[in-house]
Amino acid sequence: MKALERALSWLLSGRRQTASHALLAPAVLWLLIFLVTPALGLVALSLARNGAYGDVVWSLGLRNYRRAFAPQFAPVLLRTVGFASATTALCLLLGYPLAYFLSFRAGRWRGALIIALMVPFWTSSLVAFYSWMIILGKEGLINAALMRFGFLSSPMGMLYTPFSVLLGLVYFYLPFTVLPLYGSLEKIPRQYVEAAYDLGAPRWAAFREVTLPLSLPGVIAGALLTFIPCLGDFLTAELLGGPRYYLLGNLISNQFLMAQDWPFGAALTSLLLAGMIAGLWLYRRWEPDA
Amino acid sequence: MSRKRGLAAYCSALYAFLYVPLAVMTVFSFNDARRNVVWRGFTFKWYALLAKDAELIGATTTSLELAAAAAAISALLGVLAAYAMVRHKPFRGREAYGALLDAPLMIPEVALGVGLLSFLVRAGFELDFGALACAHALICLPYTVGAVRARLKSSAGERLEEAAMDLGASEWLAFVKITLPLLMPAIVSGCLLAFTVSFEDFVTSFFLAGIGLVTLPIKIYSMMKFGVTPEINALSTVLLTATFLLLGLNAWLAARSDARART
Repeated sequence: MKALERALSWLLSGRRQTASHALLAPAVLWLLIFLVTPALGLVALSLARNGAYGDVVWSLGLRNYRRAFAPQFAPVLLRTVGFASATTALCLLLGYPLAYFLSFRAGRWRGALIIALMVPFWTSSLVAFYSWMIILGKEGLINAALMRFGFLSSPMGMLYTPFSVLLGLVYFYLPFTVLPLYGSLEKIPRQYVEAAYDLGAPRWAAFREVTLPLSLPGVIAGALLTFIPCLGDFLTAELLGGPRYYLLGNLISNQFLMAQDWPFGAALTSLLLAGMIAGLWLYRRWEPDA
Repeated sequence: MSRKRGLAAYCSALYAFLYVPLAVMTVFSFNDARRNVVWRGFTFKWYALLAKDAELIGATTTSLELAAAAAAISALLGVLAAYAMVRHKPFRGREAYGALLDAPLMIPEVALGVGLLSFLVRAGFELDFGALACAHALICLPYTVGAVRARLKSSAGERLEEAAMDLGASEWLAFVKITLPLLMPAIVSGCLLAFTVSFEDFVTSFFLAGIGLVTLPIKIYSMMKFGVTPEINALSTVLLTATFLLLGLNAWLAARSDARART
């Protein structure tokens, strides 16, 4: 018993580095087994070839990557980058005024409003996108209302269009943009803005010359934290995109679950992971705190 | 003045954009019409139908068990890891460990799903409850680590622990008698967040749930494939309410432990 207590005390004290490594070992092992190994496995798999019956043939080569950029699939990659860029731009435009309001105007409501902003993140996105299906569908709320009041004679197709996918993406990722923006606006010393006013700058000039440039690190962080997860989004297009407007995440899912071409799916996933790592590297360089 | 009003009005519209869909779904879950978004009167019958659906009750049970397992595993791993990260003097590789612990937040869920799917299948494991629980524990880990790490950084426990050791207690005794009780609110909060994350997870489960393993979100998804129905409205409302209750409970516990810390 005494020996056990001494061993546990040694682990907790951290006087030796070994104790720190030992305490971290369970979590790190978990991450190595269930995250790092599968990711490396995918990269290995991406170099293999798909056999005739959906089996994996280990003749290594880059054919799956060439195929990803072939005319058949390149449009999906482009579409994914396009949707991610459009979402990022829209989230920045829509989110900046909100972040500004939270930081400069919200007063005692600030805390509650920030928590309220996180709701789309915490509610199941399945549920949120389902609600949008009720609103946008052919027999949905908007069509029913417009037809009732005579603005439309037949229902308008809004669901399963690029519009619904973009709407879903903006809905889900808006907090990812606003919170970093808010963080960097919050760090701007208020005296700087007041000094600009005292020197006779009109509101707009003070914003353009002082607030906006000082918030740029937040703009970049917010843009990257929206763009990177957007690249790998799966559920939005799965539910709101229909069969035509699918993105990279859906193409990957199809390779694994429908087409049974795992090596090709693994190559697409490796491209996604490479994009994500490049984005994170950029984020690290631009991180407001660095 | 009008400029300020304009900004406030704009922000209200943006919040409406976030909340109206959820409100619409909730309202129509009480609508007495099978295939219509026109209000036909108040009813509880869709909820009553849910309560009778044995498959659904099975899926709910699976999801609850899964979330409990994932929360327990991630809490255990998270407490140990967070303690070493915060309380131990700097050690080699701490930065790398920190990045690794946050990695499940950054990796796209599709990549995690197909990666685990191909890894587990090729390594010859069954895609059963245990495999899914391990995967859920992984995606929950950053939340438990984060909650405990924040508490360890902010609490005065370190000084109390040192005082106890000056009085002759071993590190282990000081940990059990002082640090662990002080950490309890953070551990509970981390568990609640982990529970929420696991209970709601769809994408990872979608790829990993083998035949016969149905979680609540998977059940909702398969119902959605057949179109919009009032039962799904009711079921989604139940899930939404569960989320709000879990987050509310978390916020209430946090406020209570803050109030205690101040007195």
